[in-house]
Amino acid sequence: MASISLQGVTKKFGNGFQALHGVSVDFAPGSLTAIIGPSGAGKSTMLRMINGLELPTSGEVKVADRVVNRLNLREVRGDVGIIFQHYNLVSRLSVMTNVLTGRLKYRSWVGSMLYLFRKNDMDHAFQALDRVGLLDRAWDRADKLSGGQQQRVGIARALAQQPRVLLADEPVASLDPVTSEEIMQLLREICDRDGITVIVNLHQVDLAKRFASRVIGLNAGQIVFDGSPNELDQRTFDQIYHTKKEADDEQQPAPLLAHA
Amino acid sequence: MNNSLPLCWPTRNGLPSIAVVIAFVIVGGLLTWAAPIAEIDPLRLVASIPRLLSFLGNILVMPDIEYLTELLRKMIETIEMTLIATSIALAISLPLGFLAAKNTSPHPVVFHVTRSLLSFMRALPELVWALVFVSAVGLGPLPGVMALSFVTVGFMGKFFAESIEVVDAKPIEGVEAHGAGWLQVRTYAYLPQAMPDFIGSTLYILDHNLRAAAILGLVGAGGIGYDMVMAMRLFDYDRILGIALAIYLIVTLLDRLSGHFRGRVI
Amino acid sequence: MKKLSTSPPKKPFNPAPIWFSLWIALLWLVVFDLDISFQTLLYGVEDMAEYFSRYTTPDFSELSRYLQLMAQTIATALWGTLIAFVTAFILAPFAARNLTPGRATYRIARETLNFLRAMPDLLLALIFVAALGLGPLPGALALGVHTAGFLGKFFAENLERIDKGVIEAVQATGASRSQVVMYAGWPSILREAIGYTLYIMDRNVRMASVLGLVGAGGIGLALHDTLRLFKYDESAALILVILSVILVFDYFSTWLRGKLT
Repeated sequence: MASISLQGVTKKFGNGFQALHGVSVDFAPGSLTAIIGPSGAGKSTMLRMINGLELPTSGEVKVADRVVNRLNLREVRGDVGIIFQHYNLVSRLSVMTNVLTGRLKYRSWVGSMLYLFRKNDMDHAFQALDRVGLLDRAWDRADKLSGGQQQRVGIARALAQQPRVLLADEPVASLDPVTSEEIMQLLREICDRDGITVIVNLHQVDLAKRFASRVIGLNAGQIVFDGSPNELDQRTFDQIYHTKKEADDEQQPAPLLAHA
Repeated sequence: MNNSLPLCWPTRNGLPSIAVVIAFVIVGGLLTWAAPIAEIDPLRLVASIPRLLSFLGNILVMPDIEYLTELLRKMIETIEMTLIATSIALAISLPLGFLAAKNTSPHPVVFHVTRSLLSFMRALPELVWALVFVSAVGLGPLPGVMALSFVTVGFMGKFFAESIEVVDAKPIEGVEAHGAGWLQVRTYAYLPQAMPDFIGSTLYILDHNLRAAAILGLVGAGGIGYDMVMAMRLFDYDRILGIALAIYLIVTLLDRLSGHFRGRVI
Repeated sequence: MKKLSTSPPKKPFNPAPIWFSLWIALLWLVVFDLDISFQTLLYGVEDMAEYFSRYTTPDFSELSRYLQLMAQTIATALWGTLIAFVTAFILAPFAARNLTPGRATYRIARETLNFLRAMPDLLLALIFVAALGLGPLPGALALGVHTAGFLGKFFAENLERIDKGVIEAVQATGASRSQVVMYAGWPSILREAIGYTLYIMDRNVRMASVLGLVGAGGIGLALHDTLRLFKYDESAALILVILSVILVFDYFSTWLRGKLT
């Protein structure tokens, strides 16, 4: 099964900003973990490392017993689906083609250059779309859809990869509360029914409490909380969101941050 | 593993969409029609590779040192033609631009007439006008400058008119409210707002005109092009490389410079 | 009286008049150096009018030959545009910072495109005619090589403007580099790319009509010959044919570009 482990991972960016300070953590297969913490705590960096979108400065990231490095990026990424805050669909392609990009790793070079897919790729894409309830929009252009629908297409694209891990980087930060709820419900269901390991970055603590089986709190690049959702109380909350002086504005409720 | 499964495109029926098919048929059809007329022949291309290589071998010789001063003079002449033609065109297209912009033109008839005049002026390439002017005033830089200015007015006037048309209307109402006259409104309200755009297009045109000036000599209208064509005709291989390099350098230099200026202005 | 702690800011100095005067002075020198006499031009207004009046009776007796030459001109332009498009299509992703495999390939691709752009197409045509012999083929090649630089630079700049997230999202599925280019790159800029290609085709038709001057096919040589032999009536007819075809192409490509956006 796809267990994920981070061992003493640090990340320093080119501009000198250190996003992570020696983070070590394991994720059990088939669990849904929420990562919470103030902006700039390193949530996004941590998540992106599991997909190889960022490589650690030191320490190692292991996905299903493979240490992620420059050489096996494509292999690892094939196993790990990711969805984004801004959905990141190719807006001028159809919904179906967007979902089919999740199948590219299975396609031959010539075929994919000609936009040709095999029957089974189509079937997987249809199933993924059906799963997120958008089968009837398959032939619409991606940018015709609402935000919530686009995020569902993003999920379908990740599912079409047949991943063992699904990462979600602030998946509901740009969505209204009702839609956010639906998206979280969908992620929970994917975790339960398919046994896919799901890791979600969240701004909304209440969503983390309700949908996650484990919550990790990050602050200034370090893990300051790791436990079950019901261990989250005012004290631990303060611990997670405590930033020296300047970050008052970062504790505002999510809807205000949504379009920041 | 599943290479036997049928292939299809990601569309409703698995076939490419009608629009794509039509586009490909039209483009493909045109190119097939054009191929024999343009004497497109890959075999001839391949067969001529040795000749191209031997030609390149011929020009890769010690450059003609004595020619260098003359080369420099001709390059300066080319640059001078560019500068003067662009300046003349600038002076003419500024007023024409105002006449050819919907929001500043005094009358719709004037607008349409100026627009048509401009599109006539820029329709034919500089070299055609250079041919005509050479046969009118004789060889030398003068017909080249005339041809270059003529075509440049066509482009510049259109660019200017387009940037005047997108000028924000509010500051203009302000100036008009103070009782400014027709010409004053145009110089004090429209001109400053459209200025960055004007400078951008002028730099672009300067760039274009340098390239054009470099080839006007082909028909005897001044500049480095004449030397290039003569060197080719007389097999003065030791000059060709120098000329080509000089053109490459000067065009690249101006390209970088104008890119730098554009970045600062806009 | 108290002394001011710092001197007040100077009145901003407006350098525009100085630049303007320098510019005029420079132009004056240039006119002298080029030995251009605008007086003769002014005195010659009457002569000029007389000269242009020679073009007022176009002679279309050889129209079918002209049309044939014009067809060759268009064919040359079309193939030149195809060569440019294919070259730019291959080179542009390497010259786009966000899709290139490495810094070295980026620099090489960029410099190649800059070099192609810097060589005027007629000079390239001269060289290709020397290597390939007379005919439209070297002309198409010259147009293609030169405009590949323009198209490639335009494509690369547009590819660089694509949302970073979209490219990342396709990369994150485990797609290869060329798949990322094909699925996140080109579809995002398709319209702009087609629009600019049409513009380049337009430009190539214009330039193809003078390629004949260096023996690279098309209608240009005929115009050159009739002017050299002072056959103004035929020259006028040729100019009209070129002009109308160019205007038709201009109109058509503007219309098509308008449809695309």
